Amino acid sequence: MALDTSIIAGGWLAAGLTIFLFSFLYRDNPFFKIAEHLYLGAGMGWLFQVSVNSVWIPKIWEPVSKGELLVIIPSVMGLLLLTQFIPKISWLSRYGFTFMMGYGSGLAIHAGLSTDFMSQIEGTIRPFSKMASMTPFDIFSSLLVAGGAICVLFYFFFSVEHKGHLKKVSNVGIYFLMIYFGAAFGNTVMARFSLLYGRFDDLFTFSGGSYFYATHIILAAMVVYFILHGLFAGKKDAAEEEAA
Amino acid sequence: MKDTLQKFFKIDRRWIFLLLAVTLIVPIVKPLGLPNKSISQATTRVYESLEKIPAGSFVLFSLDYDPSTRPELHPMAMALVRHAFSRNLRVGVVTYIAGSTGLIEELFAKVGKEYKKTDGTDYVILPYQPNILAVMTQMSSDLYGIYSKDRNGTDIAGMPVLKGVKSYKDMSLVVCVTGTAILDYWVAYVGDKYSVPVAGGVTAISQPGYGPYLQTNQLKGLIGGMKGAAEYESLIKQPGKGTSGIDALNLAHLLVLVLILTSNIILLFVKYF
Repeated sequence: MALDTSIIAGGWLAAGLTIFLFSFLYRDNPFFKIAEHLYLGAGMGWLFQVSVNSVWIPKIWEPVSKGELLVIIPSVMGLLLLTQFIPKISWLSRYGFTFMMGYGSGLAIHAGLSTDFMSQIEGTIRPFSKMASMTPFDIFSSLLVAGGAICVLFYFFFSVEHKGHLKKVSNVGIYFLMIYFGAAFGNTVMARFSLLYGRFDDLFTFSGGSYFYATHIILAAMVVYFILHGLFAGKKDAAEEEAA
Repeated sequence: MKDTLQKFFKIDRRWIFLLLAVTLIVPIVKPLGLPNKSISQATTRVYESLEKIPAGSFVLFSLDYDPSTRPELHPMAMALVRHAFSRNLRVGVVTYIAGSTGLIEELFAKVGKEYKKTDGTDYVILPYQPNILAVMTQMSSDLYGIYSKDRNGTDIAGMPVLKGVKSYKDMSLVVCVTGTAILDYWVAYVGDKYSVPVAGGVTAISQPGYGPYLQTNQLKGLIGGMKGAAEYESLIKQPGKGTSGIDALNLAHLLVLVLILTSNIILLFVKYF
């Protein structure tokens, strides 16, 4: 099935930019620079249009046009944040920040205490209340979680000198932390491979006949560029050495 | 001999990049069909959470990922929506990442057609909203106070898909697929606060950090990375991009293991022999 011209053009653009960015792994080159600058420019342009189309127009312009003047108050407070850049009136920005701090704290403190503090303590202790009905493995697992939590907390308790038994406990805490970091690092490697696989999968798609072999042609062009650049740069260096 | 082995540690790393590229490309060009035999309990819990919801119930999907995490998160979002549609659940979609809007359109154009689902009747895609906390708070009392129209500008009041849905208490499950901290917000500001069941799908990088929420059941289940996507595809018996990625991941992990083992053996040899 023949693809739409815009989709084919999109495929060429995506394949080209991907190969240009990957080409840096071999050597710095102007194509990588083009792709890098294009990425930054496109990113800024995208953010600007999101701010205009998804924030400014629906949240401020349209309500004000309909006579909902109350939105002017938060809008002005938001604009006051920009006075940070004018030293003489920068104090005005405090009004906006005050509101944001109050609003943010009001929401976050309660949720943080409940979700990340109380619930986690409860989750660590609760299994011990039903030990009679638990399997030996579950009991071991609960003890391991509780023991690990206590040891790690000891490691981060700095008001008592870590020596004697306390040192042993905090050292066990380090092992628990290391296991976590190891798991996190392993998962990070897997995530990076997944992303790389995603790009290669797209490049494979764009290498098909329906995209007029975009990946093959661009890749070949890059190889030719590096060969020619290597040859000419080599000759230039030799000429410079001779002249010297 | 030792000098020859020492050269291994000074190898141009571009050879390793090339080796990795070949390792990942080969299974794309010629799939090996390596099986994905282990399915984690966390993924199974997401599946069971959706499975036990009665047909016709409303499920909210918060799809908050952009092209940068697409290979990991798009397959799992696709599998989740397929599962919801296969069970005839009503689906609502919100997003707090502007870059995800195109991916959501792509997903529903494909999966909606597969299951013959109609926009407005079986599912609704709500527009991107900034200031996530304000939106989450507002939705607890009145969904229509913050979302009056869908992403095409059609009024959502009266849409069959939203019949009887006014706030979180009318939703059977919230599923957030994200590569950001938005899942934390759903747990803290919605799940815990309004007793709404929340499940998630995240990148492999963030997966270990959600263990405590799983243990306390604050998260009903969690799908992690491309491996999680493959697991979910196995559970719904519809292999997709997650499953095909398992070949590449297996080979790449083998390569890393071989490199680590080889370099350590050489190091030991150089040091002690």
